[in-house]
Amino acid sequence: MIEPVELQDFFIVFFSGAMIIMTGALYALFFAWSRLQAKPWLMSLAYISYAALFVSVLTLAAAAHLYGFWWWLVVIMLVGYLFAPHGIWKLCVGTHSTHQGDNPPIPLSSEQTPNKIAEEKGI
Amino acid sequence: MNINHLNGGQKLAVKYYIVAMVLFGAQILFGLLSGMQYLYPKLLFGILDFNVTRTVHINAMIVWMLYGFIGSVYWLLEEESETEVVGLKLGTLGFWVLTSAVTVVVLVFLLVQGGPGDDFTRWFINEGREYIEAPRWADIGIVVCMLIFFYNVSATFMKGKWSGISGVLTLDLVALAGIYIAGMFYTPNISMDQYWWWWVIHLWVEATWEVLVGCLMAWGLMKVLKVDRKIVTTWLYIEVALMFGSGILGLGHHYFWIGTPEYWLTIGGFFSALEPVPLVAMVVHAVYDSGVRHMKGNNNPALAWLIAHAFGNFFGAGVWGFMHTLPQINLYTHGTQWSASHGHLAFFGAYATIIIAMIYIAVPYIRGQEGIGSNLPDGGWKWKWALGLLNMGVVGMTIALLISGYEQSFIERAVGGSTWLGYFTAQIHPWFVQGMEWRMIFGVMTAAGIVLLLWDLLTIGKEPASNQKLQTKSS
Repeated sequence: MIEPVELQDFFIVFFSGAMIIMTGALYALFFAWSRLQAKPWLMSLAYISYAALFVSVLTLAAAAHLYGFWWWLVVIMLVGYLFAPHGIWKLCVGTHSTHQGDNPPIPLSSEQTPNKIAEEKGI
Repeated sequence: MNINHLNGGQKLAVKYYIVAMVLFGAQILFGLLSGMQYLYPKLLFGILDFNVTRTVHINAMIVWMLYGFIGSVYWLLEEESETEVVGLKLGTLGFWVLTSAVTVVVLVFLLVQGGPGDDFTRWFINEGREYIEAPRWADIGIVVCMLIFFYNVSATFMKGKWSGISGVLTLDLVALAGIYIAGMFYTPNISMDQYWWWWVIHLWVEATWEVLVGCLMAWGLMKVLKVDRKIVTTWLYIEVALMFGSGILGLGHHYFWIGTPEYWLTIGGFFSALEPVPLVAMVVHAVYDSGVRHMKGNNNPALAWLIAHAFGNFFGAGVWGFMHTLPQINLYTHGTQWSASHGHLAFFGAYATIIIAMIYIAVPYIRGQEGIGSNLPDGGWKWKWALGLLNMGVVGMTIALLISGYEQSFIERAVGGSTWLGYFTAQIHPWFVQGMEWRMIFGVMTAAGIVLLLWDLLTIGKEPASNQKLQTKSS
């Protein structure tokens, strides 16, 4: 069912495991920041972080022998981390635009950022 | 301390907060003793052995956090329900019963310490299960007190007003009291025993406590940052769905090596990999909210501890957890100082920080102040230093334990094959010993932090700030 990590790969597993979470958070951070500030160059940093996440996941998969069924875990992690910030961002925009007190909801477009929404609402 | 201006629930909350802080101090004191015993094994040998000091250390932690959670819920109860607490006298009785039981249990742990492996020991001295060593009579008492607490909360909301936060909170308290029962019955089969024991440890910590903290965080954000109620409520629902979706079956990562069927390797590995998803959601939402609200609050220490909570939860539970959660590596790390490293940062980051934040939210009300801004007479040095020392101390201990755990998993488990020889070789290795020494140094730093924290909580806001008008709040 599982093939344990080789002795010489211990550090690689710990490090790549930590990097998955760190780069996943960095990707989410830059992604959200880019949308928030409407700065496309931050999105480049987001996808560079995702590329680092991609490498970390593959490194962990190789060192921890994630083959067979475990390969699905690798695929789900890669796909899940890629789309999770997109989904959460849509939820953020959706919940904030429809729940700002008693004010009517603001129609959303891809150009709208939270700062603009906040300015319009005088928050 | 004059608390006559507080409402009934808040008066009871103050009692819970006081005991929580006393037990927090006890946790650190016995943690220091346990750490010293790693370095000087003869210290208090035969008087207060390592198994006793460690038992008090970890049980004090569980109980002070429980007190902190209960206190926080009582604190917000009347305000959230817009009515007086139902059955407050019963709640107060529950507090005294629980506190008396905790006192007796600690005294028995310290004075009697142990007994033969029979029913008497299990009922009256020590049940023997790590983290929940309280004897059976105390277990029953804890469940009764939890049921009283549940009655107070649910009846108050039923009489007053329901909200999204109160609905999630009430359902969570059912699970909080119910799951504890899983750790109360005895079975001679160690695999079965561990199977149910993990229900208490994992499902309390990574499900019910997390949801409880989500409710407190939601309420805290409304108080400190004036975030819209509907937004925090919506996000509370999303958070609960994400946490239960990944956290409940994440239980599987504790079932890898206790004799349960092999399919738990797959289930545990898979759902553990999903557990960081709520943290990614948290990062996106935190960035969004900081952009909209610019992090302007009315209570600087509480806001600082809420931020510490977000980072501590991310690193302690997320990074430190995922590093060794897959069975391919957990085979070597489970039960070593790796687990202790993860445990120290995760418990502090996810729970201690939010309780301290909740207490700081309560303090200005207790002292009749509007808030705690940057205009404190002493510049707020005590809370700032306490924040720094406690966080640096715990992070330092975490790193030190990580180094010891790395060495232990390498030499004791992988090279030594989990033999006694491997164990002792690892225990005397310089990396392990130096890790323990550094843990001790950072433990002292943490202790200094809690001394300052307690001093600050006892004094902050007693002198009104220069431009702050003293205002008494009744609720």
